[in-house]
Amino acid sequence: MGTFREGFVEADGFRIRYMEAGDGPALAHLHGAGGLRLSPAHDLLAKQYRVVAFEMPGFGASAENTKTQSMPELAATMAAAADQLGLDRFNLMGTSFGSKTALWLALQRPERVLGLVLESPAAIRPEGAAPPPSSPEELARRLYAYPERQPPAPPVDPAIRARTQKLVARLRGPDRDRDLETQLSQLKAPALVVFGTRDTMIPPEMGHFYKELIPNCHLIFVYDAGHAIDAERPEAFVEVVGDFLERHEAFVISRTETVIHP
Amino acid sequence: MKVSFFETGRYPVNSDAPREWPVPSAAYDPETGAKAYRAMVERARFVQKLGFDWISLSEHHYSPRILTPSPPLSAAHLASQVDGIKIALLGPIVPVSNPIRVAEELAMLDTMQPGRFVFGLLRGTTNEYLSYDLNPKEARERTDEGMELILKAWAEPQPFGWQGRYFQYRTVSIWPRPPQSPRPETYALGVSAEASEFAARHHLGLGVSYGSFDLMAQATGYYRERCAEYGWEPGPDDIIYRCNMILGETDEEADAALERRKSAQAPFPIAANLAKALIDQDRRNVGGAARPANVGRVLPISFCGGPERVIKQLRQAREQIGVGVIDISLTDPGSGDTGAMMEKLELFGKKVLPHIREV
Repeated sequence: MGTFREGFVEADGFRIRYMEAGDGPALAHLHGAGGLRLSPAHDLLAKQYRVVAFEMPGFGASAENTKTQSMPELAATMAAAADQLGLDRFNLMGTSFGSKTALWLALQRPERVLGLVLESPAAIRPEGAAPPPSSPEELARRLYAYPERQPPAPPVDPAIRARTQKLVARLRGPDRDRDLETQLSQLKAPALVVFGTRDTMIPPEMGHFYKELIPNCHLIFVYDAGHAIDAERPEAFVEVVGDFLERHEAFVISRTETVIHP
Repeated sequence: MKVSFFETGRYPVNSDAPREWPVPSAAYDPETGAKAYRAMVERARFVQKLGFDWISLSEHHYSPRILTPSPPLSAAHLASQVDGIKIALLGPIVPVSNPIRVAEELAMLDTMQPGRFVFGLLRGTTNEYLSYDLNPKEARERTDEGMELILKAWAEPQPFGWQGRYFQYRTVSIWPRPPQSPRPETYALGVSAEASEFAARHHLGLGVSYGSFDLMAQATGYYRERCAEYGWEPGPDDIIYRCNMILGETDEEADAALERRKSAQAPFPIAANLAKALIDQDRRNVGGAARPANVGRVLPISFCGGPERVIKQLRQAREQIGVGVIDISLTDPGSGDTGAMMEKLELFGKKVLPHIREV
């Protein structure tokens, strides 16, 4: 992750950290409930995009966030952060918890979001779904289909974990968020929903709900990936994300050449 | 216990025909082929009358030994002409297929006659890697991914794309969908740890074939362990055992036939050097324990005896392997002597079948 550099931006009274790399069209990323975690996918995306991976206020080493009371509020803050960075029109990617923030942001600021990518989105969950697990071991088991193939996660300060969990519990909202779901039909941006077939955090069977609720929505299953698709199958993930952001609906038309010998 | 007849589209081969796989199609006689397909229908009616529960089909290529390269076509042929008996497609060779096409064709069958079919998905025998130019090193992974995609295509209610390792589709939305939700009666076929793992994870049955009771029990034991890991327990109908059986009027008659078979050669073996090269590249296992692939060797006999001894052996197979469906053909595939086979089938139907229902 050597190419990413750290920056900070002020928005809504928060000092928001972000990691940035690459040139090209802007791609803002909103992380999952575990906080900002750069993966090989970020590096690959940075070859095509100016990637800005935000650390949302209250996550990581940032000060405790007691101010933000709802997901729409958090989305408004992140839109303000994008404003401050001069991201005029940008692609927006949300991972898991952050996909709900991304959906609200795209609804609040339709003129700003060119394309929306929802990685393992947690905006629609089975009724009675458990909150993200707290122990690092259980978390690794639920994040990855093959935890043993991942580099060891850096230790997380228990105080940070406790703060983050409180924030996530407050903002994640109900499993089926009627307020959000009724508005999804208004979503202007083309959306790509990506699930790993081995996701045990959010069942990939949730994918079809997004297709049913969002007017211009595509659903992709990444074979043999768990919840953290970007970490487990980064090339497969980035290929489809990049293709979608470039071509939107037309990404379904194959450009693969199959001629064996001319 | 249920009984299935393994239908191979018996094609009597002239004694002067070439004996090496692939068999030159110059030796093929259209009239004999047409007759073989008509006889499939007659045999299906015959075994149904005898009380067989299923008739099973397989996919093999480039040889008269088994004349059914397309299981869905074989199944449609039989289903449209024979009523009642269940038809088991064991099954499409997944790594050489377009999984979406497989999902569609099996869904078509299941729609034409709901509940009539049983589907088995498999990697295929080693020689079949040559049929459609499959790299043996990719066979296992293509199978696993292909099977997963087939199940997904059956179950997913909205159009989706598939970002796989070996398969990529940006648009999948099959019509018809199988009437049984989330899927028709489906088995993963094979003795490997991977087949068991897949079957256990997706709550599928397991089909094992052509090995001793000990080997088969090793495979089904592993399957049951994996099922327990996933929180469920397979029943007898979840385990199919395809195997060879020599049935005689008496034990002596069967033993004599077994003795004669000891000198038998595989009907259409692959050239020795090619077989060796294939075996070198094909990694196989039984429930996780490495075992070389069988390329061009005679398949073993698992049951041998007069009716009483065979009944005892079937009980033992039930206990040891947990098998609930036995899949047999009573003479080796490739043998065109259908008269002898019909006699054996009749003997099985009269003297064995009535006694194994309660097994």
